[in-house]
Amino acid sequence: MSHPFAVELRNVDKTFNTRHFLSKDEESGRRPIYQKKIVHAVNHVSFGVRPGEIFGLLGRNGAGKTTTVKMISGLVKPCSGEVFVDGLPVEKKRLQILRRIGVVLEGTRTCIWPLTPMENLAYFGNLRDVKGKILKERSHRLLDFIGLRDKKDIQVRRLSRGQKQKLAICIALITDPPVLLLDEPTTGLDVQSSRAIKDKVIEMTREQGKCVLVTTHDMGTAQELCDRIGIIKDGVLVACKPTEELLDVFSDHCFEVRLDRMPDIEPIRRIRGVSGVEPVNSEGGPGFILQTSRDEAERSNALYATLGHLQSQGVLLRTVTQRQQNLEGVFLQLTATQSEQREERI
Amino acid sequence: MGFFLVMKAELVRSFIIMRRYWFATLMGMIVGYGMLIGLIFGFRSGTVDAHWATDQTEKVLGFVVGIFAFGIVGMFSQGLQGMARTGELEQVYMSPHGLITNFLARSFVSSLISIPTWTILLVFVSATLNSDLHADPFPTFVILLLTYLNLIGFGFMVGGLTLVFKQIGQATLLIRMGMVAVAFAANPDWYKLPAVILGAAHVVPITDASICLKLVLIKGLGLGVFSHPSFLFLLINVALWTTLGVACFKYMENWSRDKGTLGAY
Repeated sequence: MSHPFAVELRNVDKTFNTRHFLSKDEESGRRPIYQKKIVHAVNHVSFGVRPGEIFGLLGRNGAGKTTTVKMISGLVKPCSGEVFVDGLPVEKKRLQILRRIGVVLEGTRTCIWPLTPMENLAYFGNLRDVKGKILKERSHRLLDFIGLRDKKDIQVRRLSRGQKQKLAICIALITDPPVLLLDEPTTGLDVQSSRAIKDKVIEMTREQGKCVLVTTHDMGTAQELCDRIGIIKDGVLVACKPTEELLDVFSDHCFEVRLDRMPDIEPIRRIRGVSGVEPVNSEGGPGFILQTSRDEAERSNALYATLGHLQSQGVLLRTVTQRQQNLEGVFLQLTATQSEQREERI
Repeated sequence: MGFFLVMKAELVRSFIIMRRYWFATLMGMIVGYGMLIGLIFGFRSGTVDAHWATDQTEKVLGFVVGIFAFGIVGMFSQGLQGMARTGELEQVYMSPHGLITNFLARSFVSSLISIPTWTILLVFVSATLNSDLHADPFPTFVILLLTYLNLIGFGFMVGGLTLVFKQIGQATLLIRMGMVAVAFAANPDWYKLPAVILGAAHVVPITDASICLKLVLIKGLGLGVFSHPSFLFLLINVALWTTLGVACFKYMENWSRDKGTLGAY
């Protein structure tokens, strides 16, 4: 029976013990000779990625994205939980799984600089059990596909960063894996290179049915590329939904209110169920963006109370529209730290 | 099978790099030759006896064996540390043949390339000094093979420790330099040393290899080397270091996956 998910994480947890010598302890302000800290990198995360799907894993620096990718590829061992690739458990069948996944990790040294792209593909192909005619044909096909055909005989050290990144993707694809893991694939690339890589990723999933898991900081890339998005905060998966649904959910409680004049918005901030009020004054006239609670009853209360307050002030209401959120807004809301949320309210 | 596939990949890569940087390779050999000859003649006293040239060739052989050990062990210490830093180690770990096969093939190819290079250098030095080198292919091959196995066994142990404790890479520089010194100085006269010191010397993976090679290539002992105690100690050393090294590497590899240090940049 074929497995519904190409990649699946079931309640995966990972902690790292870090040791520090003579480093300042943030809590006590002291500088002990030795201290041991436990970092909870990934906290009981579960999700699955289907074949032919692009899944985006978003999070701040140190949120646990790369650790998650490394656990899928078997580079890091989970403390508990299980990771499956094509239905096979990574911990028990790691060597078999390595033939089914291609991984592009952050950084540009995933290829050997004194060699040409063609030689790199031959080298990594041999390391991964791809040989002979198949290797040669696949290398040519991949270089054509990614647009490096004219650079195939130039040493990698002479290629641009974007071209090196494209080559890293070719290397990851040399075994023709059904699963591709891309860790920050467009970081530091110019617009054209980034565009080219995104197009190729879309092509691979739509036409070849590959499953792609991509981690990125670039919200535009994620929104454009991913069918589903998981947002990870301090190792915890705080959201995991199809991209459209995620945006809709967050659009549900964000309203743009346009008026004939600007009212006193301070009392609105204190209304139960209102999580934010941001004044705007653009072509549409004065008004504010009202953010409400995600709870339906509280949201309803916030809307009635806000409109009541505006009426009591004698302000003329022009329009109330639901505001379409973008991924960046959703991401910032979901990953804001408590102190940032406090600052926002102040 | 996996070993041969990885070996082929490594061989092709190494030859491409050597061909591409042939000038640097050639200059390295010339500089090495010049340095050795400069040192030998620079330290020559006014009068020399009949054995002077043979003694110098023996020292050069010891030095060459030491440098060979320095390189092989270095591949597992600072080499591995560098690979982890650049991300190459993670790529190699993605190979379904496993890290041990990969490193075995890498070190084998590195030896295949460095042994002829050092042999050419040794022959040139010996010709310059007008000293004879006893070319006995069979015992030389057997001893070189055992030396290689011994060194990679030790290298695996060092490499395993480097996988988890990255700073060890720097510390092993001292051990590697010590190995050069031991290989340079080791000779059959060491059997006259006190038992404790001799026992400690036998544990060093390069001592008996160096003595055996000197016996074959300089003293011309030929097949007789197989009955020399150093050959027996070399065999024991190989068994000890390869078993210990591979076991340690396997354990540390697993530990490094747990600690997440396989690709700590």
